[in-house]
Amino acid sequence: MRGYRESDIDAFAEFYASDRSHFVGGPMTRELTCRAVMAYAGHWHLRGYGRWMIEDKATGDTLGNVGLWYPDGWPEPEIGWTLFNGAEGRGVATETALASRAYAYEVLGWSTSISLIALDNAPSQRLAQRMGAWLDGTFVHERYGEMQVWRHPNAKMEASP
Amino acid sequence: MTVRTPALADIPHLETERLILRAPEAADFDAFADFALSDRAHYVGGGPEHNTGYAWRVLATLAGHWHLRGFGIYVAQEKTTGQPIGSMGPWFPGNWPEPELSWTIWTEAAEGQGYAFEAVTTLRHHAYTVLGWITAVSYIDPGNARSRALAQRLGCQVDEGAAQPDFDDPVEVWRHPGPEDLK
Repeated sequence: MRGYRESDIDAFAEFYASDRSHFVGGPMTRELTCRAVMAYAGHWHLRGYGRWMIEDKATGDTLGNVGLWYPDGWPEPEIGWTLFNGAEGRGVATETALASRAYAYEVLGWSTSISLIALDNAPSQRLAQRMGAWLDGTFVHERYGEMQVWRHPNAKMEASP
Repeated sequence: MTVRTPALADIPHLETERLILRAPEAADFDAFADFALSDRAHYVGGGPEHNTGYAWRVLATLAGHWHLRGFGIYVAQEKTTGQPIGSMGPWFPGNWPEPELSWTIWTEAAEGQGYAFEAVTTLRHHAYTVLGWITAVSYIDPGNARSRALAQRLGCQVDEGAAQPDFDDPVEVWRHPGPEDLK
């Protein structure tokens, strides 16, 4: 899990041009993709935390991005994940989302966290469940519409399984 | 919860006679949103039809460009008042045909004082001497008379043959004098 590079734009452009990106605000043109990647990087600058690129240790391939996300208009800080096409089904999202949550609790001192998930994004809903999260209402975003709010176990619950 | 803002890029701190040019920061959000959601932002894609989430994303985009490119847009702060009054600098997002020098003055009150001229002159010099640029353009909406006048004052000329960025509407490409022309 690392910061962003100019070369990551191509991987995002391929993903955002595909139908799978409709769960996360896509499909997007290359112009909007460039802006989205800059915003991912700039979120770190404005908030002090953000979403990381996921890179496969063995191959160096970029697999998606994951991490802590709290732009203006969000109900509270969230743990978010996006896997590029072909990176699904290998536990990559689970592994990195758990690492992100641990970072939020242990390093940043968050006391709670959520994940916002599109109503029809069943794979992400299952992942939230596997992480021990539960459905905690819905949130209507001005651009993305209605999303499910999944509440994660807090830092204390996580420490005492 | 207080989180220290990480140093993502080694962002220089430049000064002109009346302005400090520094990295965009979270504390700029209110002043930036006032601009981005005003009629004054129509030439750069903003306006009252947008919301604060839009303004925040754009500010994050400005900051993130530094991370990806190692250079980017500065926020100009008045030395006397400490107020941020605009944003300008070298700008080269992934879908631009070539590097640009861009400028935006955020408030009506800061217009007409030569701030943009002062800042862009310094930043153009920075682009040529520190970043090693050999040419620069500025993309200007044809209806933006104020920016066109500034481009002229900066010695720019419309470059009819230059490639356009992939905007919905065509822009004028103003070519700056090169490093040799300015010696």
